[in-house]
Amino acid sequence: MTGIAQKLASNQKQVAISEFFEKNKHFLGFDSLARSLITAVKEAVDNALDACEEARILPTIRIKVTKVDIKKDIIKMVVEDNGPGIPQKSIEKVFGQLLFGSRFHAIRQSRGQQGIGITGVVMYCQLTTGRTTHVRSKIATEPTAAFVDIGLDTRKNKATKANAGREIWYNEDGTGKEHGTEVTAEMKAKYQKGRQSVWQYLRMTSIVNPHAEIIFTDPDGETHHWTRVTQRLPTKVESIKPHPHGIELGQLQRMIAESTDLNLNHFLLNNFSGVTNRARKELCQAAEIEGTRKMKSVKGDDIRSLLEAFQGERLFNGLPVKLLKPPTNCLSPIEELLIKKGLSKTIDSRFVSTLTRVPNVTQGNPFQIEVGLIFGGGMAGDKPVEILRFANRVPLMYQQGGCLLTKAIESVDWRQYGLDQAGGKGVPKGPAAILVHLASTNVQFTSEAKEALADNAEVMEEARRAMLEVGRGLRKHLEKKKKMAKTKEKFELINDILPAIAEKSAQILERPVPELSGSITKIMSAVISESTTEWNKETKQTDVEIVLFNYTTRVRAYTILATWPEKSGATMVLNDTGGRKEALGVWAWKLDSLQPGGKTTISYSLSGLERGDWTETEVLFRGSQDVIGATKMDETFLQEILRQEQLMDESGIESPEAESEKNEVPSEPVEENAPPAIAPPESEKDEVSNESVEENVPPAIAPPDGQRTLFGGGV
Amino acid sequence: MFRSRTPEETKTAMHKVVEEMYDRIVKGEPPTMTLPVRTKTNIAFDKKLGVYKYGKKQSVRDATSLGSAKQLLRTLHVVEFIEEMLDAGKSSTLREMYYISEGWGMGKFGSQNDSNNLAEDLEIVTKCLREDFKLRPEEDGARMIGNLTLRERNRRGEWMRINARDDVGDSGYGVPYNVELEKIELLEHDIDFIMAIETGGMFDRLIENGFDEQYRCGLLHLKGQPARSTRRIMKRMSEEWDLPVVVFLDGDPWSFRIFASIAYGAIKTAHISEYLATPSATYLGITADDIVAYELPSDDLSKKDIEALNAELTDPRFADSWWQEQINMMLELGKKAEQQSLAKYGLDFVTETYLPEKLAELGLA
Repeated sequence: MTGIAQKLASNQKQVAISEFFEKNKHFLGFDSLARSLITAVKEAVDNALDACEEARILPTIRIKVTKVDIKKDIIKMVVEDNGPGIPQKSIEKVFGQLLFGSRFHAIRQSRGQQGIGITGVVMYCQLTTGRTTHVRSKIATEPTAAFVDIGLDTRKNKATKANAGREIWYNEDGTGKEHGTEVTAEMKAKYQKGRQSVWQYLRMTSIVNPHAEIIFTDPDGETHHWTRVTQRLPTKVESIKPHPHGIELGQLQRMIAESTDLNLNHFLLNNFSGVTNRARKELCQAAEIEGTRKMKSVKGDDIRSLLEAFQGERLFNGLPVKLLKPPTNCLSPIEELLIKKGLSKTIDSRFVSTLTRVPNVTQGNPFQIEVGLIFGGGMAGDKPVEILRFANRVPLMYQQGGCLLTKAIESVDWRQYGLDQAGGKGVPKGPAAILVHLASTNVQFTSEAKEALADNAEVMEEARRAMLEVGRGLRKHLEKKKKMAKTKEKFELINDILPAIAEKSAQILERPVPELSGSITKIMSAVISESTTEWNKETKQTDVEIVLFNYTTRVRAYTILATWPEKSGATMVLNDTGGRKEALGVWAWKLDSLQPGGKTTISYSLSGLERGDWTETEVLFRGSQDVIGATKMDETFLQEILRQEQLMDESGIESPEAESEKNEVPSEPVEENAPPAIAPPESEKDEVSNESVEENVPPAIAPPDGQRTLFGGGV
Repeated sequence: MFRSRTPEETKTAMHKVVEEMYDRIVKGEPPTMTLPVRTKTNIAFDKKLGVYKYGKKQSVRDATSLGSAKQLLRTLHVVEFIEEMLDAGKSSTLREMYYISEGWGMGKFGSQNDSNNLAEDLEIVTKCLREDFKLRPEEDGARMIGNLTLRERNRRGEWMRINARDDVGDSGYGVPYNVELEKIELLEHDIDFIMAIETGGMFDRLIENGFDEQYRCGLLHLKGQPARSTRRIMKRMSEEWDLPVVVFLDGDPWSFRIFASIAYGAIKTAHISEYLATPSATYLGITADDIVAYELPSDDLSKKDIEALNAELTDPRFADSWWQEQINMMLELGKKAEQQSLAKYGLDFVTETYLPEKLAELGLA
């Protein structure tokens, strides 16, 4: 544990912008008393989550907010985590210096991104109350915890510390705490309830961090507990080098100035993702610079030329230089099943549909969209749906209207999916909540407040497509509910009412009770499917049963298809009816002869899932006659699945679930590393990007876009 | 034309309905119940009887939907219940039957309306009356005032002679639910016509103003859509005493319907129109003309009013030119008026001016 804690701390850099903060605190989320508290909690909780994630610890975070002085609006916040802890000598650096933190310099998906984080809180407390922030932290290898009061000298960009010492840290139950950090801060702030509150921030955080346990005690003394619903930590994300498509001039200049590479050839190969040896040659030719030029001699117009070659404005053989896409293993999506769990534990509902799209790339930056739709239950039916926006697992709580993610929701005609929406535009109404998560190495915001995502056509399109798919899921669910009600009625008719009619009429007429089978066939005159999906406590599996009744006078033949969570790592067991795989997550059974008046049962179980993971199986059919209770196979739906499957194969992405499956169950035959079905057009070996991932030395480059602008371009 | 059936005849008629269901099941078909279509599209004028009756259109209620199947099961329970009453010599109200159906499991009624409709269905297909089924209505009969004398057999089985002017209080004579010969005999009268009035307020106004004596008429309070017994007693008085009947209602689409049910027969009870309807009844007012001619205070027609008027335009009972004119005029005006709006010109206006003028048009004053 020491290793991790100390390594994290040693990776830090110093950037002097204390004064910047004082002048620009409104950018950093301290512009109103209510928001300041949310921001403070957010910074502390983000830190705790990040630290736990990097140290591979399942986080348990306690947050307590109390009112110290109601007249003067002084509020005390205590945030305690079970993270790896911070070595004593690093505490003041972590809390006392702006832009101190390893995350700032690496390109990958991370929560804070700007790295101003908790230092901002320390500074805000200092500015508004004149008080220092008390920090207590313990790492596993030391017997006692270190504590210290941190203040900030904003002019000298230096932390001030006082009252440092060591003590034994006891938990509430009297046992000694093993490791963790606790921050106690007093600030001028207001506690509010509602949509923009600490409560809402934590609730949203818990939805997208299903691996975290969050306990919040509000100023009224009420405790809100969001439990941990999965033991699985988010996939560890890798840092990647910048992609030429995402580079801007200032950044390139800085990279070249700081380069220690032998020459331009090495520079291109060593510092970028997506640049193969072939691409390296072509970029040099397009920019009309010798690859053997020393880096010191690459200046001014050369840099401009190089950038133009990067962006395809300078051509090679009449075409822009082709680059590989950046790797996408730097992204950590929450994943469909976990979003479902996160949503279900937080919001009472009847139906949840979630979707994680295959990663995509915009301007050299990998990104991935996830959407969840939760419907029914206790939600109000006549109000706009609740929108839950997230960027890299961080809740976005302000500026909803101006956000790309909201616009994506508004651009969908939700009426066709069963929600109310005036004119088919705007935020739909209904008993629903829509979650959208953008995971990206470079989240572009509309402003420094980092509350709304900036417009981007590719991200918008991905988000829209994801919504259409979950919307489709909702429509199917509603249709199914309606059909099920109808089927239920029919069964009630033939099982209860018809026998009663026969009996009563026979009794009145004093005649024998007549035989019913003929009437039943005439009444139903259809093939009916009934399906159940149930959690089996004993076997810890999800049991699925599909029963088909042929209430017609002829023999019928169908192909019955059922959806199952293959993508989420489930396996199908006890499937005695056999069948075959139709597509990812769709199984098919061919039923040749359903006898009139007979019934056929398909049953199987799904293992590798937890309770509540899979509660509804969609049953589809191929065949000429309608099947009540099943949906006719929509071949375009199948094609979309196959398309995504192909995309995953092409980009060589393995779903994170598949990866973890490999790790946890090594005995299982791992799919061979066969070359992708469709080879990249120019199949030169991509040595560079392969080796770069292995090495853990972050490239010495300036922060990407979103951050550069914050500090006025170039430090 | 109508006569009471013996319990055995009633049972036989009901068994035919049960047999239809039973036989269909034996044949391997869904059980059914066949009955006339009970909408305005299936009523036609019966020249011989002078009233509107159901036409030839039949609808088949079959057990292919849950609702219809339940309705068939309910029918069987009702038949069984009626047989039990016939055997035990008891009777019950429709409301009692509704509550008794609580014990019928899947055959229980969803609402009181369900049970009323089903009783009517059975009347129609069996050609029996609900009196034969030993089912009594809940509905409240009308009130009558005027110099007319009748005999009513009371609870002790004794005949009581009642003059509806001298032997009653201000609320008048209450018409019982059964007004057949075994219960009521019409003895004598000294009036020139009968006036049926929609609202209690107008009924009381006319009594207070002594209109019945001044104009030698019997006044009858309809209480909105008149009950069967109210319509039946009007018909009996009209036929047995050969008296004209004039009907004085509000001026709105719903009043037109009340009049149609009095004069031509109601759609719901078209199977017994000849027994309930008074073809000679005349609509006195409020007409659409009156709203204009008397400049009556009026209300705008609601959406429902307009729908009702449009439906009446295609109702065969309103097919004659006078009604078409009145309905169209009301639609054009977009207005409706209440009887009591006549009070605009004072409390006596209705008895001193309006009614005398209207009755004069009819040759009754």
